[in-house]
Amino acid sequence: MDTYSVLLVLRILLVAILYLVILRVVSVARREMKMVQEEERAVRRLHNIVGYLTVENVGSIKNTAGPRALHRRDRLDIKEITTIGRDPANDIMLESTFVSGYHTRVFFKDGSLWVEDLNSHNGTFVSLLRKDGNYQGLERITKETAVTPKTILQVGDVIFKFDEFKF
Amino acid sequence: MIYGRRYRWTEMGLLLFPAAFLVVALLELELAQTASTPLTRNTLPPVDTFIPAIGLIVALAITHVLLNIFAPDSDQTLLPIAGTLASIGVIMALRIGASPGFDVPSLGAKQLAWVIVGLGFCVLTVILTRDLRWVRNNPFIWAATGIALIGITLVNGLRHFSTNTPSRDVLAIGPGGFSFQPSELFKISLVIFFSVYLSENQALLSTGNILSGAVMRKLLPNLLVLGIALVIAVVVRELGLALLIFGLVLALTYATTNRLSYVLGGLAIFTVGAVIAFSVFSYTRVRLDIVVNAFDPNKATNEGYQIVQGLIAFASGGVFGSGLGLGHPTIVPASNTDYIAAAFGEEFGFAGLLALLGLFMMLVFRGLLVAMRSRDRINQLMAVGLTSVFALQTLVILAGNLKLMPLTGVPLPFVAYGGSSVIANFIIIGFLLRLSEDRT
Repeated sequence: MDTYSVLLVLRILLVAILYLVILRVVSVARREMKMVQEEERAVRRLHNIVGYLTVENVGSIKNTAGPRALHRRDRLDIKEITTIGRDPANDIMLESTFVSGYHTRVFFKDGSLWVEDLNSHNGTFVSLLRKDGNYQGLERITKETAVTPKTILQVGDVIFKFDEFKF
Repeated sequence: MIYGRRYRWTEMGLLLFPAAFLVVALLELELAQTASTPLTRNTLPPVDTFIPAIGLIVALAITHVLLNIFAPDSDQTLLPIAGTLASIGVIMALRIGASPGFDVPSLGAKQLAWVIVGLGFCVLTVILTRDLRWVRNNPFIWAATGIALIGITLVNGLRHFSTNTPSRDVLAIGPGGFSFQPSELFKISLVIFFSVYLSENQALLSTGNILSGAVMRKLLPNLLVLGIALVIAVVVRELGLALLIFGLVLALTYATTNRLSYVLGGLAIFTVGAVIAFSVFSYTRVRLDIVVNAFDPNKATNEGYQIVQGLIAFASGGVFGSGLGLGHPTIVPASNTDYIAAAFGEEFGFAGLLALLGLFMMLVFRGLLVAMRSRDRINQLMAVGLTSVFALQTLVILAGNLKLMPLTGVPLPFVAYGGSSVIANFIIIGFLLRLSEDRT
């Protein structure tokens, strides 16, 4: 047998092995990522979490320390019904003079998230998605309004953003 | 995530690849020596050809078993990636050592021994860091260790400042002729110290006014290390080491604070230092001149010889390479250390180099993933810093090999010949393995 043709086969095999290591590592990483996602989904199901709100601006709230503290970039869970207001009985408490006792309600209905103002003094504002995909400026809402990810929500002087969520 | 105390099957499966690589590579090396004669039963290689492969495979398998005992939940891809890179290193050392006219015929056996010792140090690190508190609680001991280690290099550099000894970053131990490079361990202590130090001062550094006195005081260690890096570049003339230290501090500061201004400030200091060095020290001009005018007929056979031969080696490899054992890697000076990438590129070609880069990419990817998953800030920073050591070294030496910047003597992690480097890299893998157990 010609040694050169054997060497050629071995050569291809050698480089192929190196590429296989890379491919295998990538597939291991993908499997791990999938496991993490499934884990998150399970946690969401367990706690009835239907979405997330990220704090963009804490405004003039006083609860910046302690067990119910809020900070910029905090991610808050939205359950099937989540209330926001100054009263401690709310799911999300905002200790600000611009926020009414029971200010805003976020809830899940017909496969999407809705925002409703609870007759607050200073109003609830959202940025609405226009037909061309851009967001309009903040608008005061008067009735139940469906929201999509990345929508901005303003409660008093506190600003939130709806995060990507999957159901 | 729930990780049971399961057997590390993924790691075992992945380790089959370096094992196969070693066996196939040794078979090819042996056959390449008798390539002109047809293959018959008589010319088949004897079994003892495969002794180095068996040695390394057994060492990897023992490491795998020990990791099952001491770090069962740690990342399962780090050891196989490092093992594959180390296998490439051993094969290249065997191949270069066996080529006619090379002055150290036992190069392969030595590198194999270093890798096995390195694996031992990796397991030792994993065992000793079972409780990471002793590592994290005494940052200033690490700072002192680092200063002592770099002090050796600096003193050596000052002693030989006027002479032209090529490497000053060496400490000889005892009469046995053993020597090690203190800077290899310096990197590790540097990363540990800065991870602890920066995370303690994270709040101030990431929100305070950068030019205020309070922030500047906290930045003193950073500035000190940047100064050391400049001194190394000038006195020890190890530009690669200086770049590495510089890059590490900037990467860690950026990872802590997420502020680009620190990086820009660091780069500004670097530029000023480089311009001053360029105008004051003639050797920096010479070094740059070699790179820019390497193909000048007068230089290509003298100062530029190495860089030109290196480029020719890369080019002659083409896309698929000449084949392991069929090239002439010893034409390039220092092809076993600084120019290992050229030797590899000549025989494995562009396809092989791309795979090598892919392996380094996977190593960095997994290292940064360890950092991302970690819950603790110090652990995160340690993982970022230790991974950056690999990334920066690969970048600096490959850029030097390809004539993109002045060549500097930084070893290509795991692949280049050298005991201290291989051992230090495996210690880093040990740390990363332990850090990967802390995850959400």
